[in-house]
Amino acid sequence: MIRRGFVAAAFAALALLGACGKKDEAPEAPKKDGWDSSAPAAPEFKVLATSDLRDLEPLAEMVAKATGVRLKFQFGGTMESTEAVLTGATPADAAWFANAKYLLSDTQGQSRVKLQEKIMLSPIAVGISESDAKRIGWADPAVASRLTWKDIAAAAKAGKLNYALSNPATSNQGFMALMGVVAATSGKTEALNAADVDRGAIADFLKGYKLPGDNSTYLSEQFILQQGTRVNAFINYESWLLSLNNSGKLREKLQLVYPYEGVSTADYPFMLLNDARRADYQKVAEYLKSEPAQLWLARQTLRRPIKPEFAAKVEDLLPKQGLQVELPFSPDRALADGLIAAYLNEFRTPIASTFVLDTSGSMQGGGRRQQLVQAIHYIAGADASLTGRIARLTNREKLWLQPFSEQPYGLVRFEVPAGAATARGVQVQADSEAKLATLAKVREFADGLQMTGGTALYDAVFVSLQHMLEEKQKNPRYQYSVVAFTDGENNKGRSLEQFKQDYAALPEDVKGIPVFLVLFGEANEKALKDLVATTGGRVFDARKTPLYSVFKDIRAYQ
Amino acid sequence: MSKTMRALITLVLLLAFGGTLFYALQGQRQEQVQQQEQKAIASATPLNGVIALDVEPFFKDPRVTKVLAANKLPVNVVRIGSREMAGKVVAGSTPDFLFPSGVVAANQIADAARKANVAATQSSPFFTPMVIASWEPIAKILVANGIAKPLSPKVYGVDMAKLTELMLKKKRWKDFKDAGGYDVSRSVLVSTTDVRRSNSAAMYLALTSHALNGDVVTDRATGQATALKLAELFKRQGYQENYVNGNFDDYVAIGIGKTPLAFIYENQLVSYALAKKGVAPDMVLLYPQPTIVNKVVFIATNERSKALADLLANNAELQGIAVEYGFRIADTQRFVNAVQATGLAVEPRVTQVVDPPAFEIMAEMIDTVAKEMTQ
Repeated sequence: MIRRGFVAAAFAALALLGACGKKDEAPEAPKKDGWDSSAPAAPEFKVLATSDLRDLEPLAEMVAKATGVRLKFQFGGTMESTEAVLTGATPADAAWFANAKYLLSDTQGQSRVKLQEKIMLSPIAVGISESDAKRIGWADPAVASRLTWKDIAAAAKAGKLNYALSNPATSNQGFMALMGVVAATSGKTEALNAADVDRGAIADFLKGYKLPGDNSTYLSEQFILQQGTRVNAFINYESWLLSLNNSGKLREKLQLVYPYEGVSTADYPFMLLNDARRADYQKVAEYLKSEPAQLWLARQTLRRPIKPEFAAKVEDLLPKQGLQVELPFSPDRALADGLIAAYLNEFRTPIASTFVLDTSGSMQGGGRRQQLVQAIHYIAGADASLTGRIARLTNREKLWLQPFSEQPYGLVRFEVPAGAATARGVQVQADSEAKLATLAKVREFADGLQMTGGTALYDAVFVSLQHMLEEKQKNPRYQYSVVAFTDGENNKGRSLEQFKQDYAALPEDVKGIPVFLVLFGEANEKALKDLVATTGGRVFDARKTPLYSVFKDIRAYQ
Repeated sequence: MSKTMRALITLVLLLAFGGTLFYALQGQRQEQVQQQEQKAIASATPLNGVIALDVEPFFKDPRVTKVLAANKLPVNVVRIGSREMAGKVVAGSTPDFLFPSGVVAANQIADAARKANVAATQSSPFFTPMVIASWEPIAKILVANGIAKPLSPKVYGVDMAKLTELMLKKKRWKDFKDAGGYDVSRSVLVSTTDVRRSNSAAMYLALTSHALNGDVVTDRATGQATALKLAELFKRQGYQENYVNGNFDDYVAIGIGKTPLAFIYENQLVSYALAKKGVAPDMVLLYPQPTIVNKVVFIATNERSKALADLLANNAELQGIAVEYGFRIADTQRFVNAVQATGLAVEPRVTQVVDPPAFEIMAEMIDTVAKEMTQ
């Protein structure tokens, strides 16, 4: 009896101790397996990410395993994504950008972002084909380490540097490259403003801009195809350039140059937008900064760990960083807006393109005609938002509209006049009367489109390519492309096989004219992909995305 | 076996049983006491507090939670901006305690409490000086040019008056004598977080205003004029991080190329060093001379929260945990010993200290700078 009492008391004490012991430990979060179908599925955690982050999609599975939070990525350009967060238009729970300084230098943007954590680092570098680096005299590390954006602009002007770069009006890499040139040539080291822009230097730098595009995956593919013929350099994040070097797909490796006193490092902030998902956000952010995720990011994507102790573990994978002096980011909106407007309307190689428009009978139904008319109105409209200014027709641009049904017919030409030249600096200019009149004519033409008959897609694309080629020979100082839009199978004129044969017979120069195909309605996806594999270019899917939004995306590739 | 022996054995057994019984009963009694104690602990009403970000990790630490619970002073804390705290002082619904970062915000709260007729008792259980986190090559250049002087290995004192003057003159690094370690054309500038959103940047404004004015700014007109002159030290930095650790993160992650001089709370680098058990070999601290000591000011509004203030200041375990988060405590030696093990060198006693201007003047100065920055 007594013994039992003692034992019971002892057990009670033990139990109490046990309870205390447990209390001492931090409660461990229950480990949920996000892929376990028996568990009730938690809502996905939507992440709006810049398209340069596409290479870390596989991370989603690791995040789910470790935290139970299922990430769902949606990718977009930097400016587009910034705008979506600024306006609150995105339903995303979090945003993950290479650079969020545009967003966060705006008070509205600051109020949208509830929490932020920088996840990794990658400086923007200029990758130059090794043989060309030698030829230019940049192979010596002592020389390379002192090269500035001014030297890079000079080499571009001299025709020694022909580069691929994502669009300065839509992407961080492109914009920061322009800012690098502005800073290096302004003689100022900080507080740059719109009046500091050396217009000549920007024009020089852009002389070498031969391969535009809007995302790093596309540009990498095109760079692999065109290295040594049309381009010999690629300006992008170090991580993409190193990955290309390791891919074995290049004709020769790239030597990386980090512009002296002009490095812009992407710091990839992961930002909470939806306060209701704070707990999930914190779990994910903590995991992303943990050793397994950081080392995976470094090994798989060659981005630098944010924490020095992890960086030490992967230092053999990444080039030794000497003194890389950062380019201060100017939060001056007038400079950013002025620079982008000037890039689009004055400095860039002007666009010359033919829009091939399907006006077959099937376009009459399902609001398709209306969507097409709306899309043309959009590019010839007056949207001055971050994304609208990319979509709009720019000064000096030449546009042909080529409708087709049974056959191509009624080609019309529009040309947007140049704006008044500014003597110094950059600024956003109001549209001239002449420009407004041209835009109105484009809209009027769209309004008059009649939908009837069959679909002679390949004939229409072929004559447009021929036509662009002729124009290019007459006037090479434009960036030529063909944008074709169709909602059905080709059922008139050339077959795809005939198209390919005829294309092969065209002069080599046609290779520099990409074809951007828009997939709509019942169009044959496989055939369209086959076509762009021949001509170069890209297929855009407008079956789930509004057509005008797809047109806007295409504009960033032109 | 003899009778005596048997009696003895019985006695021993009885004693043994008796003892067991005694201890068992006592154990039960202790258990009861403990249970009652646990109940009392569990039923203690949590104190509601609003706290600054600086002390959030401290309050989140499970060891702190445990000590507070054991002392029947559990807390329920919400993190808000220090400058928003004065707005929480409302008669009848003031939090039990407010724990802002810095005396400026504390004075603002004290003032609001006076006006609202709310009792408020201030104490400062821990503190940290404002420092400039930098790099050995940078410190050497500043020493060679008479702006800084070595205090001990890897610890420097920097003459704030001279530094402020040359920053305003737009001195470039490469124009210094012996600038070989950092001969870049960037101007000399100390990086801060966004002054519109953070206390540390406000402390930088306070410190540079003292440097420029030769003394603490005490009147509005001087404050206004001084802030106008100093605004460029913020504006010329370009984009500034607008979360409290942003500037420090850049210092640690990107390094000398982005952040040669970073204005931080000393506890940011100390807690980093303690957590990582070390720092990069070329990381050094520059102590502005004079500097401002940022006191995390505990403001109690009732008797129970006063007891919490006492506990925070006097409980050895809590003070030790505060040191782990990089704060200095009254026991300087304990702080110095803890840091020494990491290889990070600190100045044991920070003696040249000034106060920031009064909060109304400070608030006007911040507004002036903010206005200049948006132009």
